[in-house]
Amino acid sequence: MKVLADEAKVASAALREAAPFRDLPEGLIERIAAMARTVRLAPDERVYAAGQSADSLYVVVSGRIDHVFKREVGAREAMKRIGPGGVFGWAGLLLGQTGRLATANATEPSVLLSIPTEELVKLLESDPVEGKAAMDRFGRMIQTEFTMPSLLAQVRRLSGTPMTEEMSRLSLTMYRISVWMKSPRPYLMLIGFALFLGSWYLSVEVLKLPRFKDMPGLTTVVKEWLSPNPTYGLSIYTPEYYQHIWVSVWRVTQAFLLATALGVPLGLLLGWSPRFKEYVFPVFEMLRPIPILAWVPLAIVMFIATESAVIFLAFLASFFATALNTMLGVQSIDDSYVRAANCLGAKRWQVFRHVIIPGALPFIFTGLQISIGVCWFSLVAAEMVSGQFGLGYVINTSYVMVRYPTIIIGMVTLGLVGYATSALVRLAGDYLMQWRVRELALSEG
Amino acid sequence: MTKSSGAEVKTRGHILIDDVVKVYDPEGAAVMAVDHCSLEIEAGEICMIVGPSGCGKTTLLNAIAGFHEITSGRILLDGEVLCSAQKPKAEPGPDRIVVFQNGALFPWKTNLENVVFGPVMQGRMTKAEALDRGRAMMADAGLAGVEHNYPGEVSSGMRRRVEIVRALMNDPAVLLLDEPYRALDSLTKSVMHEALLEIYYKNKVTIFFITHDLEEAIFLGHRVAIMTTRPCKPKKLLTVDIPHPRDYSVLTSKRFRELMQETSEAVHEEARKAFQAGEKEG
Amino acid sequence: MARSRHISGRAIWRGMLSIVIFLVLWEIGSRSKIWLAWDVFSPLREVLGAAGFKKTYLPWIGSVPPPSSVAKAWMGVIGQAGYWQSWYMSFQRVLGGFVAAMLIGIPYGLMLAVSRTAHGINFPVFEALRPIPPLAWVPASIIFWPTQELAIMFITFLGAFYTIVINVVGGAKSIDGRFFQAAQSMGASKWDIFKRIVLPGTLPSIMVGSAVGMGITWEVVVAAEMISGGGSQMGGSGGGLGFFIWNSYVGGSYEQIVVGMISIGIAGYLSSELLRSLGTYVTPWLRVR
Repeated sequence: MKVLADEAKVASAALREAAPFRDLPEGLIERIAAMARTVRLAPDERVYAAGQSADSLYVVVSGRIDHVFKREVGAREAMKRIGPGGVFGWAGLLLGQTGRLATANATEPSVLLSIPTEELVKLLESDPVEGKAAMDRFGRMIQTEFTMPSLLAQVRRLSGTPMTEEMSRLSLTMYRISVWMKSPRPYLMLIGFALFLGSWYLSVEVLKLPRFKDMPGLTTVVKEWLSPNPTYGLSIYTPEYYQHIWVSVWRVTQAFLLATALGVPLGLLLGWSPRFKEYVFPVFEMLRPIPILAWVPLAIVMFIATESAVIFLAFLASFFATALNTMLGVQSIDDSYVRAANCLGAKRWQVFRHVIIPGALPFIFTGLQISIGVCWFSLVAAEMVSGQFGLGYVINTSYVMVRYPTIIIGMVTLGLVGYATSALVRLAGDYLMQWRVRELALSEG
Repeated sequence: MTKSSGAEVKTRGHILIDDVVKVYDPEGAAVMAVDHCSLEIEAGEICMIVGPSGCGKTTLLNAIAGFHEITSGRILLDGEVLCSAQKPKAEPGPDRIVVFQNGALFPWKTNLENVVFGPVMQGRMTKAEALDRGRAMMADAGLAGVEHNYPGEVSSGMRRRVEIVRALMNDPAVLLLDEPYRALDSLTKSVMHEALLEIYYKNKVTIFFITHDLEEAIFLGHRVAIMTTRPCKPKKLLTVDIPHPRDYSVLTSKRFRELMQETSEAVHEEARKAFQAGEKEG
Repeated sequence: MARSRHISGRAIWRGMLSIVIFLVLWEIGSRSKIWLAWDVFSPLREVLGAAGFKKTYLPWIGSVPPPSSVAKAWMGVIGQAGYWQSWYMSFQRVLGGFVAAMLIGIPYGLMLAVSRTAHGINFPVFEALRPIPPLAWVPASIIFWPTQELAIMFITFLGAFYTIVINVVGGAKSIDGRFFQAAQSMGASKWDIFKRIVLPGTLPSIMVGSAVGMGITWEVVVAAEMISGGGSQMGGSGGGLGFFIWNSYVGGSYEQIVVGMISIGIAGYLSSELLRSLGTYVTPWLRVR
């Protein structure tokens, strides 16, 4: 038995080197190792040929395998060299796939682990959290390492017909949704919203509680918002509604872009050069604690046109937040990266461009999300105090002109638009930092 | 420029650490980290530095690499002064490349982009040449297939190997390894050791390797320097006369056991001292 | 990016130098009505004119009162009781709203962190309402609350509440799972775990959340004071530093505007620092760094 135990140990170690299995819990790895069989190959020995029955997948312990896809499969890289830690032969995991998609040959003396696919899938299905995570990782591994645009690993139990591209993407989404639906989350969310809206409706319109009865009621607001001929002049059908939205959004865009264009470089310099920081940071920190809205009268004095004053105020808030967070981001970069770059012969400006900027980018984007929130905050306040048009102006004048339902419409619109801009910033960040998205995805499984 | 293995004599990478002293002055209390340490490392030698945590061995490595200053003494590389009392901090450079404890592959570059970083930054090769060489070296190290992955997508063992390839692309005289396998489990470690030796046999750089693992030290090294606890100073030098090339069967050989016996008492003594002194990780 | 523990003497000199330069430039800029008229600067005047600005003074900075006049105004105002009363009123509102936010926000956040059901029900609504800026709630708040004071405090409360809750939830989530396992293996009850692991573990995030929340609170107080005290015809209690600024603007005393701004800056900075020291007092285990 000692020999088998040692083999299982080597198998476990090899599994842990392989991307889809790497982070699985100990118990699961040991059971997979137990069902694995060690296969030794001489150079030029064939592992399998395309079309053969796909009953097991392989993990390479040592050596090298040449893996050539059938042309029909449409893989971007038809031929692949697979070394230690690589996983191949996963066709059996795909729904409706019974035959091998490629031919695999050993080019050097190689040791492989052969894992029967049926048993593996049964084992993974037995653990809904980790098993599903492993299947997701297979899917991603297949996409990235094998550059196959269409095929994804599937969990058995969906339809048995062979897959087309749309079907596979759809069925994976359906699977994800079905898992989410089974969890209590969506129902709790519905309960939460129902409670909130329900209590609003009850307290204002039905029970007419003391302070609440003066507030605009839920039905009044909804009716007003969706009415083609609103009593107070603002609904989704009126062009003024969209004008106000556009004005606010345009102001925020100008302020935010300007603040980013000035704030990010300033923050980068503050974080990167101690000398620059010694000179500039004290003045920066002196101005920062002054609440943005305390600048309102001064801004009106400085910029005679209220439009510029409003944008200036939003800009200021956003600028401080962006610069500060960028600086903190640069300071948070691990020393080792800079040192490594120095060792590798990078000059100072190269370190800045290749290490500091990409390294600070995640922190910069977190800062930008905060910054756009702050930008909206200041814009609304500034609009409420001065200026014409814009959602803040709408809220203020609706109050003054006793058009209470419109206040709520303004607030809700603000919430929606604010959320949308914040999501845009986040998406921009995800797009620029592909590496981080992938890293996070793999670690969460 | 992959060197053919075996018979070639290495002429670069001779390190002379000459009576080096490093005194820190945190909060006014002078703390001596390195105490008149002298050590000579031959070109092409694998020199293992063993000592308890916090004893100052990383300070030595950092001094050679150019990250920290020394207070007095000198360090020479191939006869040229890296740092001395007059010039306390060496310039970091591609002749002495560090492989870091927790890895310092740039997470925002793919593995291949990481590997070609050095030559591209220095302008020693065109981008195309660098990419070709990078792919070849990665394939040599068993890393073919992960060129276009990001470091975050591959296992930590693979990341270490990519980092070593990144260093070797610059044809360094010395590789400075600061407990690179500390965070790996022992099974992965033994695979990594063989991988490192394989790489060494092809490239014959001088390796300055810090570890607290005596087994690792004797398995890999030509010589093992056992350091005292802080302040750091070579306490015992051991020449490992097991011939290269070595594989894991060495671990159970009689000579290996004998060497372990000779040295483990010295190491254990220093470890106990460090424990009593309550050393924190440096 | 090593952060040096001590600020070197040289750094202090450099910082002071830049502040002085800043003040000097400000003084010169705001006095542009005087020197821009000199012959030497006629080309500059042409450039300004071509760009569409007035030729008699620098744009923007030219309308700001100079630091010398601000200092003089400040000296004058320090002696007036009304000025210090504004301080008192603003602090009162900030404290009231902030304490309320802590008293309600911390338990609420902890409840969300501890109970998955509560989190599932509450958090989506919470997140849906969060993008609405606190100041947008002002009119609704004024309608709802009987007194203006309560209305302002509600807005102040809202501003800080969100930040504190988010920090508490985030802090509780980030407590290393192994602490729970260790406690359970030592036989701790659920209440024990809450008292000895969740509470202290969340404390650092609570302190960070309050420091940020404090900044937001000041923003909101100032705005609310300006909007409700200055914007509409609400009589009754007004006052506070925000109102001081607005009043100075309406009364045409621009130097006092700047005095007010700087006063609020100082007040905000003081309260944040107070919180920070309270934070380190309450979490001694973090001080070792």
